[in-house]
Parts: sequence; structure tokens; C-alpha cells
Amino acid sequence: MNPLLEQFLSEARDFLQGIGETLMQLENAPDDADLMNELFRLVHTLKGNSGLFDVPEMTRVLHAGEDLMDAVRNRRAVYSRSLADALLEAMDFVGMLCDELEADGRLSAAHGGSSARLVEALRKPIPADDNRVAAPEPEPELAPARPTSTLDSADLPLDGIPEAVRMQAYRRSCGGECLFWLDYRPDEQSFYQGEDPFFLARQTPELLWCGIQAREPWPPLAELDAYCCMLSFQGLTAASRADLEEQYRYVIDQVRLTAIPRLALVIPGGDPNGGPVYEDFVADARALLRAGDLAGLVRNVSSMLELSGPDLWIASALRWLQLVLEIGQEEGAVLDALVDCLESLAPPRWEASELAAAPSAASEPTSDRQDDAPRAEHGREAPGGERDALSPLEADTLTAVVAAQREVLALSDAPAWLPGRIKAAAEALAGCLRAVDAMASLQSLEVATASALEARSGAPLLAWIEACFPADASIERGPVGLAAEPESPPPRAGAQRPVGEDEIKFGRRAEDAIAAPKSLKVDQVKIDRLMDLIGEMVVAKNALPYLAGRAEAVFGVRELSRDIKGHYGVINRIVEEMQGAIMQVRMMPVSFVFQRFPRLVRDISRKLGKEVELILEGGDTEADKTIIEALGDPLVHIVRNSLDHGIESPGQRRAAGKAATGTLRLRATQESDRVVIEIADDGKGIDPDVIKRKAYAKGLIDETVLEQISDQEAVNLVFAAGFSTTEVISDLSGRGVGMDVVRTAVEKVNGSVALTSRKGQGSQVRLSLPLSMAVTNVMIVVSDGQRFGVPMDRVVETVRVPRAAIRVIKHSQAAVLRGRIVPLKSLNELLGLAAQPKSNDDDELAVLVVRLGDESLGLLVDDFSETLDIILKPMAGVLAGLPAYAGSALMGDGSVLVVLNLKEIL
Amino acid sequence: MKRILIVDDAATVRLYHREILEAAGFEVEEAMNGIEALERSLQAGFDLYLVDINMPKLDGYGFLRELRGQDLPQAPAIMISTEAQPSDERRAYAAGANLYLRKPVKPEHLLAQVRLLLGERRP
Amino acid sequence: MGIEFKKNLVVFHDVASVEDAEVLLEWLQGKTGAKADLSACTHLHCANLQVLMAAKPSIQAWPADAPLRAWLESALVAV
Repeated sequence: MNPLLEQFLSEARDFLQGIGETLMQLENAPDDADLMNELFRLVHTLKGNSGLFDVPEMTRVLHAGEDLMDAVRNRRAVYSRSLADALLEAMDFVGMLCDELEADGRLSAAHGGSSARLVEALRKPIPADDNRVAAPEPEPELAPARPTSTLDSADLPLDGIPEAVRMQAYRRSCGGECLFWLDYRPDEQSFYQGEDPFFLARQTPELLWCGIQAREPWPPLAELDAYCCMLSFQGLTAASRADLEEQYRYVIDQVRLTAIPRLALVIPGGDPNGGPVYEDFVADARALLRAGDLAGLVRNVSSMLELSGPDLWIASALRWLQLVLEIGQEEGAVLDALVDCLESLAPPRWEASELAAAPSAASEPTSDRQDDAPRAEHGREAPGGERDALSPLEADTLTAVVAAQREVLALSDAPAWLPGRIKAAAEALAGCLRAVDAMASLQSLEVATASALEARSGAPLLAWIEACFPADASIERGPVGLAAEPESPPPRAGAQRPVGEDEIKFGRRAEDAIAAPKSLKVDQVKIDRLMDLIGEMVVAKNALPYLAGRAEAVFGVRELSRDIKGHYGVINRIVEEMQGAIMQVRMMPVSFVFQRFPRLVRDISRKLGKEVELILEGGDTEADKTIIEALGDPLVHIVRNSLDHGIESPGQRRAAGKAATGTLRLRATQESDRVVIEIADDGKGIDPDVIKRKAYAKGLIDETVLEQISDQEAVNLVFAAGFSTTEVISDLSGRGVGMDVVRTAVEKVNGSVALTSRKGQGSQVRLSLPLSMAVTNVMIVVSDGQRFGVPMDRVVETVRVPRAAIRVIKHSQAAVLRGRIVPLKSLNELLGLAAQPKSNDDDELAVLVVRLGDESLGLLVDDFSETLDIILKPMAGVLAGLPAYAGSALMGDGSVLVVLNLKEIL
Repeated sequence: MKRILIVDDAATVRLYHREILEAAGFEVEEAMNGIEALERSLQAGFDLYLVDINMPKLDGYGFLRELRGQDLPQAPAIMISTEAQPSDERRAYAAGANLYLRKPVKPEHLLAQVRLLLGERRP
Repeated sequence: MGIEFKKNLVVFHDVASVEDAEVLLEWLQGKTGAKADLSACTHLHCANLQVLMAAKPSIQAWPADAPLRAWLESALVAV
């Protein structure tokens, strides 16, 4: 469970308990104002918390509870036992929702009814003249739930729907399905909230008909604000109310659902003039109806239809009569009415009782709501204009912040804290200037602030605002012209006397403030310096065994040699611990990167109309800062891939027999000296055949490989450079980011990535990264008299192979090792050295078996030497251009060890 | 790194704001009520305050009045409340707030406001 | 790469994103008699849709995706 939800639940339980206890105390002291205030505060805070989550059912109830307690503490409502009962019941409901949230991580859609009932009970004791409820609410879902059928289906433009569609809907309704008219008016600001209302509308289940309209006539194109949503969506759907409410769960306040009785669809339409004479037909039809001869009536209707032009109103009425007869579910009165209208040429008027007979969901609890009133956004009305380089959000924010400072400074009171208030407003304005790169105005701001402080009045600063952020009216309408900062800061700010610069101290933090922090904040540079020093220490300590060797071999002092070795052991231990301690400082938990995913996954999956449960595990696994930071982008790519292409839409999942909600699991674990991150989804997986074909088409594999390659090998082809070109991207990874980018990023920090996938069951990406980059364990090999380092994580084994056992296959050398053919390459040759590999006295060659991806390869060298921990420094200067080397390290004897980059030379 | 003090009695709200702000690279500290907030801000200055209204011991208005009454450098404060009445907004400004937001605040909005008040642009 | 501008024609590919809407609006503001080719479009963000509705370019080709076409026709067919 994500930490925020966890925190919410644990705190909510405390609050619920507190509410219960306070209520009990109030029973004994019903007039205690402190208790009432406390009770209000508890409910209020809990409501505030719940507003952070998508739990409208809970928030609605808590909001009603808060209003009730507010009325009680202000003596607008009288505390009573029944009132306490209502509140307690509501809190039990909240507690139950908490349990459900804890168990499932979300709420099922089934609580709307209870929620509405509880809200009603809580609102009842509040006097009706209390207009608080009617005040504009920031969150419309908090408005009291209203009963259904605010709208009559007769008011809807159903006749705008093509007849064929209405007939189809009629059939489905007769088959027992509910019909709903959907009216979705997205919030004007919805684009800023990452929503795509059109996408949401397109996902409407069981849509029979759809339409899009502008809410108002369009302004001239030059004045159009593309990011203010002006559309409304309509639809006729055969989905159940529950499914629709689920689909529009996040914007339910913007949606109106109206149950459509099937007869409301029976609207003949077309040209009212012309056609054969119908009087006889109508008389015959009535007779047949009276006689109960429906088959006869069907025959008459058919022949009459053949005589009528299809575009006639009469023909349309006949088709409806035909359909109603065919399905045969209506009462006789319906047939009578249809026959009557052939005579009157007026649409049938259905009686309420007839409409009610048709299935509808009108009796269900509902979220029907008309909410056409513009809702107050916090901040200010968005100025529609463009401001260079400021995004619409930033421009809005700037306008709002400046407007707020204007209000602060215009206050006419003069409290003791006025200077502080002025300084803070000046600081806020300075922030605005810095944010829009209008540094030139900072000085005039300081001047104006100084005069304001001197005069103990906001007026000088208000004047400064008028000059720098001009036009009061623009706050409400047009753009504020701050795109380009006025060339020279207007001097006419109220300041009369310039103040010496040294007097202006505000805005700078007092240096002498005493801090008592629990943790130290240390500059990265200092830690890096420590790392360098410990690196030198490791090298210096490596000199000791060399020294001991010399003491014995050159000077013949065996005892001294032994002492040095003994001391080396001690120093070695201390250095290792020191190294560990420094590494520890750089360690960060994986949760640092994990924490952004709940939000990311929620937003993206919402946008895509998918249901995804994100499970994060092992967030406390630690790794070096560099590694953690390097993890971020690859993880985002992989998660996006899973959401975009892995996890299916709820509909597809159900069709595939899976749970509608997909699961995405991010798990971090430590495996010896590596941190492993697994990203697994239960989506549709990758089809190896598709990959094979693409790889073949791109020339990445030849025909032989195409036939022999295993499914797993095929899946891993997505990492091949050159695979993720345009069309493959759209198949697999989208957004123009291929998996080879992920691989490159991970390999940059010595990590590896593997992908396994089972078609239809999901994919799993496994990232394996070193815990730390700082220390590299290398094996030293000798070739042509030189020493080279090979990173230990590449080394599989060292073996000596008799020269006779080396075979030559097509100019390549190979040897059979442990039953497998291992290709051999001479290191000298790879490095462009002319010398042949040397063998030992038994004519055996030294073979260093290394791992490259999934393959093993033998490197022919002259000899193996010890393994060492080194601090690898990247090559500098001219050498940096040589890809064959990963870097160098200083050795104990002062020599330089060059570490090979095997990937490059092989 | 800019330091922000979150003043709210609800741990959930504090965590919510902390996650948003820390993810954006700000350093965050917390106080559970006005008294604690005052103590912390007198110990060490902050670059910005996020202040709830309704809190035990000392509420948000009281905290801001005390803070603004100090003869010290003053940092901007955002008052975050669930109250919708315009009168609350005026009260907040009078007490020394520089911006008034209603809960729940959308992360992108909060960040835009915080960045602006701190004089920073998009990262 | 959601939208591509040719001389007097805007071509939609795959998905037009919310960011595309701004560019699209600017382009349409400078054009008279603009045309739109939606044949390769699989989705366009709502913001693009309303820009098209306001600018009323003549639609040269409708999306291949039938439900999408139905939605768009309800909004973009000149009455």
C-alpha cells in the first residue's frame, strides 16, 4: 500500500476513535463549547484528509458531518441524542470504507446509496434557512446528493438520434437492458488536470449513439483558448448505471445520467406530407386490434409500408408499429396509440404509467446532478492570453500571486505585525520577479519596500505593483504584460527617498539563526572528496604487500616482511570499514525513485482508461546515490510501456478472463552486491513471433536464426540497437522510446536488463544494478608483458588449456570446456599487439573465460594475477577517446593499471 | 536547497504535501500546530510556509500573526484550508498569508505556486 | 508526431496530444480554407477536437476507426 494511503488510514482510525470518544463526552456535557469545537475540528480534518483521495462517497458524508458540527457549535442546530446517532452511524460507515480501502486499495462503486442516505440524515438537523449548503462549493461532489429524475426524458433531444439507432436501442431495452442518456460536461479546467474528456467519452461502455457539441458559440479563432474545455458530450448507452458511474467515477459531478424508458424512443419522424390514403388502413387496423388478430395487422402494415415512400413521416410511424408488433412486449394501449397517430399525424403521447412499465433505473440511487454553474477555482480567473515562455499554469499562478499581494497590501488595518506582513508580501513579489527573470525590477522593489516599511503602509508597494504588473482590470480579464519585463523599472513607485543598499536586509536569511537539526545536510562535493580520498587510501594500502615482498626478496628480512603483512591486515580492515561507512553515506533507499510512481501510474492509467493496481515492494532497499538516480528514467520508461502496451483495458481484460484491474508490481531486492528491480505486469505480454518477424525484416537476424531462435531469445531482441525504430516503437514501447535506450542507460552504470514475457500473461523486466559504482573488483591478467584489469563481474573462470586441445574452426579458435564449445580470442590480437600468447612449461595456455551477455568467451592471455579492489577513474584527455578501456587505477607500486572494456574490444 | 515548513495537524496532509514538495527537490520540515511551527521558525528561518488554519493550541492565523510580528526576515506563506468563504481569505491575508488555497491542492498547482513564490522556474 | 502540416493541409497520425492543440490552433489561425486529413488518426486529445470545431477546416478524410468517425462527424460535419 502506498505510504500516503497507509498514513491516511491510520490517522483516520485515530480520528474516528477521537470522534466517538468526544461524542460520548458530549452526551454528558451537551453544552461544552470546547468539546463541540474539538468535534468539529476532528471531522473537519478527517474530511480534509479524505479529499486527498478519490473517495467521494466518504468525503461527501464527512462534509455533511462537518456542516452539522459547524451548525452545532454555532448554535444553529441543537445537539441531541438522535443527532449524535446520525453522526456515529456516519462514522461507522467511514470506518467501513477505511477497511475496504485497506483491503482492496480502492472503494467499490456500490456505496453511493448509503452515502446519500447518511448525508440526508446528517443534513436534516441543519435548519433549512442555513444557506451554507447553498454556497458555492469547491468540490461539486460535496454538494448534497439529490434525488433522481430531475430530468424528464421528454426534454431530451432524442429525436436527433437516427431512427435505426433508436430502434436498435428499443430492441435492447426489450431484451432487458437499461438505457441511459448521458450528458457529460467536462470542467473547463479539465485539460490542466491531465484529463482528456474526449478519450473518457469514447470509452463509454455500450454506446449506441454519440454526439459532441460546443456549449457556447465559438469565439473568433484569434481569441480561442484551446485549453479551456468548451465541449459537452452526449450519448445513448445500454450500459448499467453502475458501469457508467464506474467509467465516469472521477468526474461524476460533471455527468448527468437520465434513464430512458424505451417508449420515449418511439418518435416517428420524416416528411409529414404525401403518401397514400390511410383512413381505411387505420379503420382496418383498429378492427384487427379489437379482434386480437395481430398477424393480420402485421401483414397490413407490411403492405402499407411498400406503398409509402421511406422518407415519409407515416412510413416511419409504420416502421415503429411493425417493430413493436414484432417484439410484442407492449400493452394493447401502446399499439392503439401508434395506430392513432397514423391518423392524427402527431407523435404518440405516452402516459406516465406506460413509461414506467418500461424498464428503467429511475428508482436507483443516483448521482444525477445538474451542475452548470461555473465553479470557483482557487486562485483567479485564468487570463486567456499568452505570455512568452510562461505556461498557462504559470501565467495563472503569477496573476493569482500578484493579485493576492495586492489584497494583502491594500488592507487598511495597522496591526503590530504590519512590518512583517509587508516584508512577506515584498518577498512574495521578489519571488515572482525572479521566477520570470525580471531581475532588473528587484531594485525598485527593494526601494518601494523600504518606503512602505517606513510609512507603515502598503501604499508604496501597491504603487510599485501597478507600475510593474500593470492594469488592475487585467487580473480579471486580459493578460498581464509581464512577458517582457519593462525595460527600465518604472521609477515612479511611491518611494521618495532612496534608501542606502546596506540598509535593505530583508529577503536574506539571518545567518546566525540557530538550527538544531537531527540530520546533517552535506554538500555532494564534500562526499565526493571523501570518496576520492578513500580511493587513494585503498591504493596506498595496496602498496604494503608489495613492500613486504621487497623486504623479504630484496633485503632478506623475513620478520619485517611478516610484520608488514600483519599490519597490512589491520589497515586493510579499517580501510574496508571506512570505505563501507562512506558508501553508507551515499546510500539512498529505492523508495526515493518509487515514490513518484503511485501518482504517475494513477494519472496515466486514468488517462488511458485502464484500471491498474500498483504494488511497490522493497522500497527500503538501498543503493548508491548514483545508482538510484540512474534508475529513475529507465523505470519510468518501463512503467509507461507496461501501462501503454502491456496492461489491457478493463474490457479486454474481462474478455480474456482476467480481473478488470491489472497489476503492476515494482519490487526491489538486494542480491549479494547487486540491487535488483523487477517490474512485472499481468498484461497481454509480447508475442515472440511478431518480434522475430520484425527483427528479420530489419536484418537483425538471418533466416537460420529466425528458425532456430527460442521465444525467450526473440523477446530479448527488443533490446537490440536498431530494433526500436518507428513502427516497432508504436507496437512495443510507444512515445518514441525504445528498450535499447533503457538498456543503454542501465549499462552505463554497469547494470543489466532482462525481459521475460508470456503472451497473454504479462511481461517482466528485471534490472540488476551494482549497489555502488565506486569500487570495482578486477582481476589482473598479464599479456605481452603488460598488466590489464578485467572487471570481475565479467569473469566466469580461469582455466589452463593444453595447446593441443585448441581447435581451429574456420580460422577461429575454440576449445571444449565443461562440454561446451567456447570460442577463443587472443587478447594481444584484440589490442593490436603482435606477440603470440605465451604458454607455461606444460604447454598450456591461460584462458580467461568471460561473460558477454548470454555468451561465454575465452580470452587467451599469458598469465593470471591477483584480484584487487580499485577505484576506477575514467580515462582522461586523449585516452578518453579510446573505447577499449573502461578506465584506469593507480596501483600500490605507483604504476597505472588499465582496465579493459570487454564489451568494446570483443 | 529551499526549505519549506509544513504546518498542519493532519499527518496525512503533511505527508501529501511533503511527497509533492520533496519530489520537486525541496527540503521539507513539519510542524503539527502553530506553537511548534513558531518554535521551529524562530530556531531556523524557512524560505516558505504552508499553513493549515484549523489546528489545536495555536491556529494558522495565530501562527502567522506571531511570525509576522517578529523582527526577522519574512518568507512568504501559503494558507491552505478547506474553508470556502471569502471572509476566511481576507482573514488569512490580514494575518500575514501571501496566498490562500483550498484543500485538496492539486500537485501541479501547488508546485507552480511554491516555485513562483520562491523565485524559481520550472526545473 | 501526432500532427503534420503540409501546405494547406493538416494530417493527423495516430494520437494528437494535448500539446499539439496549441500548434494546431496557431496554424489554423493563419490559414484560410484549411483542410484536415484524419484518416490515420486513432485519437485526438479533446483540446485538438475543439480547435477543429472552432476553426471548421474542411475534412478531407475521416478516420478509419468507425466509432471515432461517428464521434467526429457529430462534431465536425457542417450542418
